[in-house]
Amino acid sequence: MSHRVCQIKALAGLSVLELYRRKDLIVVFVLCAVILLPLMVFTPFGVSGASRYVNEMALLLVWLFSLVIGLGVSARLFPPEFESRTIYPMLSKPVARGTVLAGKYAGALAASVSALAVFYAAYGLLAGVRQGVWFPAVLVQAFALHIGFLAVVTALGLLGSLVLTPSANLTMMGLTVTGMLFFGQRLSALASAQAWPGRTVLTLLDWFGPHVEFFDLRQRVVHEWPPIGWDVCLAVLAYAAGYAALCLMVAAFAFRKKRF
Amino acid sequence: MSGQRLQLWLLLVGAGVAVALGRAIPVCFEGRLPQTPGEDVLSLILGDARLELSRALGEKAEEYFHGGVRNLNCTIHSDAVGRGHEGHDAEARGIKEGEPHGAHQHGDEGEHASGHAPGGGLWQWINASVHEQAHRHLEGLQMVEMLPWFWAACRLSAKNTQAYESSAYVLAYELGKPEEGVRLLEDGIRKDPAKPELDFFLGEIYFSKLRDMRRAEACFVSAREKCLPAQRDAARAEELLRLRLRAVFYLGYLAKQRGDLDRVRLCLNEAESLAPQHHTVRDLRVLLEKSGTKNQ
Repeated sequence: MSHRVCQIKALAGLSVLELYRRKDLIVVFVLCAVILLPLMVFTPFGVSGASRYVNEMALLLVWLFSLVIGLGVSARLFPPEFESRTIYPMLSKPVARGTVLAGKYAGALAASVSALAVFYAAYGLLAGVRQGVWFPAVLVQAFALHIGFLAVVTALGLLGSLVLTPSANLTMMGLTVTGMLFFGQRLSALASAQAWPGRTVLTLLDWFGPHVEFFDLRQRVVHEWPPIGWDVCLAVLAYAAGYAALCLMVAAFAFRKKRF
Repeated sequence: MSGQRLQLWLLLVGAGVAVALGRAIPVCFEGRLPQTPGEDVLSLILGDARLELSRALGEKAEEYFHGGVRNLNCTIHSDAVGRGHEGHDAEARGIKEGEPHGAHQHGDEGEHASGHAPGGGLWQWINASVHEQAHRHLEGLQMVEMLPWFWAACRLSAKNTQAYESSAYVLAYELGKPEEGVRLLEDGIRKDPAKPELDFFLGEIYFSKLRDMRRAEACFVSAREKCLPAQRDAARAEELLRLRLRAVFYLGYLAKQRGDLDRVRLCLNEAESLAPQHHTVRDLRVLLEKSGTKNQ
C-alpha cells in the first residue's frame, strides 16, 4: 500500500514540476497584472472608491486561467507519453495502470490547485489592501469550491485525453465546461420548455452533465453576500468528489482497454 | 541581369501606382467612401453595435445595483421615482418628502426572484443556495460601485440616454457630486443634442441640487422645445408628452417664484392643450390660485 502511495507521489510530483518548468504560471500572472493594474487606478467620472468591478475582473481572470491551467495540464499528461512511447518503460516498472492514472490525476490536481492557491492569495491580499477585509469566510468557501471545480475539470481532461485526440479533448471539454457554467442553472427550465427529443437530451445533460456552476461563488464574493451554509458547501464538494471519481473510473476502464 | 532590372523597374512602377491611387482615391471620391473621416476607433470597429454593447453595460450596472442579481422588474430608474430626481417634481408641488408619491415599493425583500424555488430538485436547491437571488439594493455611497459600468456605457455610445441619466443621478443625488453630474449631462447633450431627456434632467439638477434657477429654466425651455419635433416619433410620443408636461410644470413653477403670473397662465394653457386631464394641469391651477409669490 505504502509502495503504491510512493509511486503515486512520484508521478504527481512530476506533473507539478512540469507546470512550473513550463513557466505558464508566470505568463498568467503577468497577464493578470497587465489587465488589473490599470483598472485599479481608474477613477470613473473622477470619483474613486469603486472596487467591485476590479474584484469581478480579477475573479473572472482567476476562473479563466484556472480552467486553462487545469484542462491544459490534465489533457497533456498522457498524449506525450503515448507519442514518445515512454509509457512502456513506465508500465513495465512495474506500475499498475490504475496507479499511473491515479498518480497523473493527483499531479494534475496538485499542480492546478497550487496555481489556484497563488491566485487566491494574491486576490485576498489585493482585496484586503483595497477594502480592509482580509480573507473573509466567503472567500475561503470560494477557494474550497474552486478546488472542487478543478477536481472535476482535471478528471474530465484526463478522461478526454484517453479517448480523444488532444485538440478534440481541449475543445470538447472547454466547450462543455463553459457551456455548463453559463447554462447549467437553466438546463432544467430549458428542458421543460422543449418538445421531444430536445427535452430528453437536455434532461440527460441536466442529470449527467458536470454542473460546474455549483462551484461559482464569484457573485457572493464580489457583492459581499454572506457565505453559504457549510452543509451546502460540503454537498457541493461531495458532488465534485463523486463526479471526479466517476470520470476516473471510466478513464481507468478506457486506459485498461487502450492499445498503444 | 536585364530580366532582374526589368523586375525591379516593374516593382517600382507598381509601388508608385499603388501610392498614387492611395493618395488619389480619398480626394476623388470624397464623401462616397464607406468610412467617414473623423470617426473614432470605437465607431469604426463596432459601428451600430456600440449602442447594444452600451446597453449591456448599463444592464451590468443595474445588476450591481441589485447586488449582482439581474432583476428585470426593478431598475435604478424605477427606484429613483419618488426617491430621487423625479421626487423633486413632488417637492415643487409642495408634497412632503417621504410620502409614497409614486414610491417604488419592494414587498419582496429576501424573496427568491429567479424562480429557483427550494424543493424543485437537488440541482435547483444547490443552485438556489449557491447563487444568491434575494432582492437588495446598493444605497448611498455604495452606488459608486455602479459608476465604472456607467462610465463605459456612456463612452461606448452617446445615444444611450439612460446610461447618461443614471450616471448623473448617481453622481448628483447619491454621491453628492452634482457638478460632475452636470458635466456629464452637458457632454451627453453636446454629443446627442436632439434628445430632450438630458436637458430636462440637467434642469432638475440645477433646480434641486445647485439651486441655480436661471440655468434650470434655460434647460427646461430647451427640453420643451426639443420635445416638439421629437413628439412626431409615434413610438415615443407618450413618453415625450409626459416629459414636456413636466418641463412645462417646472417652467410654471419657476415663473410663479418670480411672480410672473402671466407666464404661469401660458404654461397652464399649454398643459391644458396637451393633456387636459393630466395632474400637471391641476397642479398649475393650484399654483395660480395660491396668493402671493415666493422670492427665489
